[in-house]
Amino acid sequence: MNKEDLLEVVNKAVSLSKADQVEALLVGGESYLTGFANNYIHRNVGEETYELSVRVVIGKKVASASTTDLSYESIKSCVETAETLCKFQKDNEEFVSLPKDNGEEKYFEEVYELPDAETRAEIVKKVVDASKKHDLISSGKFEVEKSQIAIKNSFGIEKYGERTVATLKNIAMGDTSSGFSQESAMSFKDINVDKIIEESLDTALKGRSPISIDPGKYEVILSPYAVEEFLSSMKYLSLTEKNIEEGTSFMKGHFGEKMFNDMITIYDDGNDANTIKMAFDFEGMKKKRVYFVKNGVIENVVNDSFYAYKLGKEPTGHSLPQPNDLGAYPMNFIFEKGTSKLDDMISNVEKGLFVQRFWYTNPMDPVNLVITGMTRDGLFLIENGKITKGVKHMRFTESIITALKNCLEISDNSKIIYEGGTVTTAPYMRIKDFNFSSATEF
Amino acid sequence: MDDVIERALITAKKLGATYADVRIIDRTKENLSLTNREVKVATTRHSRGFGVRVIVDGAWGFFSSVNTAGEEGERVAKIAVEIAKASSKTKIEDAKLKDIEIYQDKVPQPVKIDPFSIPMNKKIAFMLDLDKLMEKEGIIVRNSSMYFSKEWKTFASLEGAYIEMERIVSGAGIQVIATDGREIQVRSYPSSFGGDFARKGYEFIEEMKLSENAERIRDEALQLLKAKLCPTGKMDLVIGPYQMALQLHESVGHPTELDRVLGEEASFAGTSFLTPEKLNNFQFGSKYVNIVADATDPYALGGFPYDDEGVKAKKIYLVKEGIFVGYLNSRETSYKLGLESMGAMRADSFSRIPIIRMTSINLEPGNYTLEELVSGVDNGLLIDVNKSWSIDQKRLNFQFGTEIGYEIKNGKIQDMVKNPTYSGITYEFWRSLDGVGNESYYHTLGLPNCGKGEPMQVMEVSHGSSYARFRNVNVGVKHE
Repeated sequence: MNKEDLLEVVNKAVSLSKADQVEALLVGGESYLTGFANNYIHRNVGEETYELSVRVVIGKKVASASTTDLSYESIKSCVETAETLCKFQKDNEEFVSLPKDNGEEKYFEEVYELPDAETRAEIVKKVVDASKKHDLISSGKFEVEKSQIAIKNSFGIEKYGERTVATLKNIAMGDTSSGFSQESAMSFKDINVDKIIEESLDTALKGRSPISIDPGKYEVILSPYAVEEFLSSMKYLSLTEKNIEEGTSFMKGHFGEKMFNDMITIYDDGNDANTIKMAFDFEGMKKKRVYFVKNGVIENVVNDSFYAYKLGKEPTGHSLPQPNDLGAYPMNFIFEKGTSKLDDMISNVEKGLFVQRFWYTNPMDPVNLVITGMTRDGLFLIENGKITKGVKHMRFTESIITALKNCLEISDNSKIIYEGGTVTTAPYMRIKDFNFSSATEF
Repeated sequence: MDDVIERALITAKKLGATYADVRIIDRTKENLSLTNREVKVATTRHSRGFGVRVIVDGAWGFFSSVNTAGEEGERVAKIAVEIAKASSKTKIEDAKLKDIEIYQDKVPQPVKIDPFSIPMNKKIAFMLDLDKLMEKEGIIVRNSSMYFSKEWKTFASLEGAYIEMERIVSGAGIQVIATDGREIQVRSYPSSFGGDFARKGYEFIEEMKLSENAERIRDEALQLLKAKLCPTGKMDLVIGPYQMALQLHESVGHPTELDRVLGEEASFAGTSFLTPEKLNNFQFGSKYVNIVADATDPYALGGFPYDDEGVKAKKIYLVKEGIFVGYLNSRETSYKLGLESMGAMRADSFSRIPIIRMTSINLEPGNYTLEELVSGVDNGLLIDVNKSWSIDQKRLNFQFGTEIGYEIKNGKIQDMVKNPTYSGITYEFWRSLDGVGNESYYHTLGLPNCGKGEPMQVMEVSHGSSYARFRNVNVGVKHE
């Protein structure tokens, strides 16, 4: 479907509604994923899907309905279903209004050619052939998507956005070790396949025959992949107005307080040059830059129109498709890079660990952001400023707040990591006294 | 036969497919969520579409569409074939499927009360009543939620299978968050992750006794703020059925998925320590450990009449008297290992390819009463309802936390403890089990949110368990 088709659907939905306020959101597009394992393509899939969601407001009642069938009859039925649900609702006294048009950019289009199945297979073949040469086994994915979004509401908002994203990921596995690499870009041609092969294979080969070490506190260097995973819980536990209201955010009561070292600056910005861009949110609000932490000081959180209007603020442009239980979410999370060279950071460690990746992290104590998880696909001992040996994997149990306070250095480069529609831009970090709570067998 | 199915299958065959199947799914979901007297979510979601899966030149391809008009069958099948041909560029051997019995069947799901027949105002009024019961100073968040879904799925294959199935699901749960300004504590009923879910009608909501338990969880959350911290060290654990559901899920369900064992999930969720040479000879647990994969339970969320390859639902043992004896498998993976196809292939929507998913993974009940299990513990904890979870990518090193715990001293339940956690290595932990509660405590918990696969699929699974007693477990993880 093209821009005009999508806008026609949302316009039709809004025009069919008799509710006091109405919003139509159409999200969809094409996506293809070529998955590989055991050095061959084992899962090769594609889809072309669109879903229309209609949110209606009658007085203080709010309800929504959605459909994947975009025929006139189905759009009409979807609007009627939402209105019927709304009439049977109870008043939501906290609800103020759907968002008003803020006059920002109406269209956002940054699209590149999507590779066909043959081209995707050729790129995967290059990766697996490299693994075969080194007696390694590759698993990963090459995923490409063209996503489209159209929004119309009864307060004059009419927006359309379109972008492409490609992601190549490889895990190279040997008998006793594995290595990881991942890269995303708006055009698949900007993905450096050779670099992916080099990083994942090198990590796997260097980590062979890992040694066991005792759990305990270690100085660590976390790669951008590890930083992204380590901080992931923070996004839904701490950084939204809902988190402040529900008391799960460590930031509550600390705005304006200098909690971390000057070098810690974390923000969200869908229009930043250093992310995969998205100009506006799923309510059509411009994505504003929101600093969570600026030079160590606790600054702000993101919101959607519901929390913004309820609290007498301006929407920051971070709404997910409404309604949902999260409300807002930082989808372009950026941990600002520092000034240190990675090699220098490693040479500054007398005894410590280099962590390529964390896995399956989850919070144990949401307010204090105590997180547990495992290392994966590359854990190395650093001795006298040099990476010396692979190490068997370890479980960490550590507070994000404590780790940010214990940050010693941040690298002068960062990496864009795209997963499930959200983007994190993260640097390498050197952190002291990082707590590993147990070991495992491999 | 539906026109779009017929066209897709004929096109796939004409273009060289040696195997093809088509699934059309028409599904309606209703979600309701109420927080602190305000309705946060009131929505219905209707989706309809179809997916075509093919083997061409010995390799797989899949494509899907939301347009179910007849001619779209040809277009979607053609793209699926192109994708499969590209897949064959890297193939090492041809994809082969285990032969199965081919069915033509139509399976409705009778329920006592159609959940979509209950007006939304009645459902919301009930949730508001629950909200009121949970209200008390110190409780900052009160949440209640309901979920209903109804779907018709048609599965057809080039082999002649043609199966129509109805699936109706109902679920609900309540949760409170309490704070004293310094910390927060959470209590849920019947369990975390949205409560409990089953393949039943609205009668399931009525059976759940939400009203009867709302004030209890409210008060327990407030008591937890004042409770002592979970002790640390090695001690015995009696684990309740709601936490056992998560323990079964992470340390039995996932490691017995044969696609994971064979490396097909390595790029996302990892592999498994239960490698093929361990089948039928590995001491997974103690002699008290009997764990089944059961898709035949008529109400369990992990159950179904046929899987998404047309394999009729079965019940098989994964662990029998402590020995690892079975895998969750597909037609392709069962062929590779020469096993019987047990029917665990499912996709979470028409737009996703089926992958191996848990059915209902259950620890069979034993003979003990709860009192007998507790009376055998000198120094330990009684814990239940999952709060945090993590396990490594081979499913060995786990660390879980629960919402609530009680000390057990000299065979008696004593004070409440907060933030209980425990950790271990999977097979060492299961080998330490020395008693399982009897059928009267047994509960099958529906979990609607098991994530797996790339692209990600969120699947409905379930786990049945009674109380279970484990000896000498690592408890209370320190991080400061």
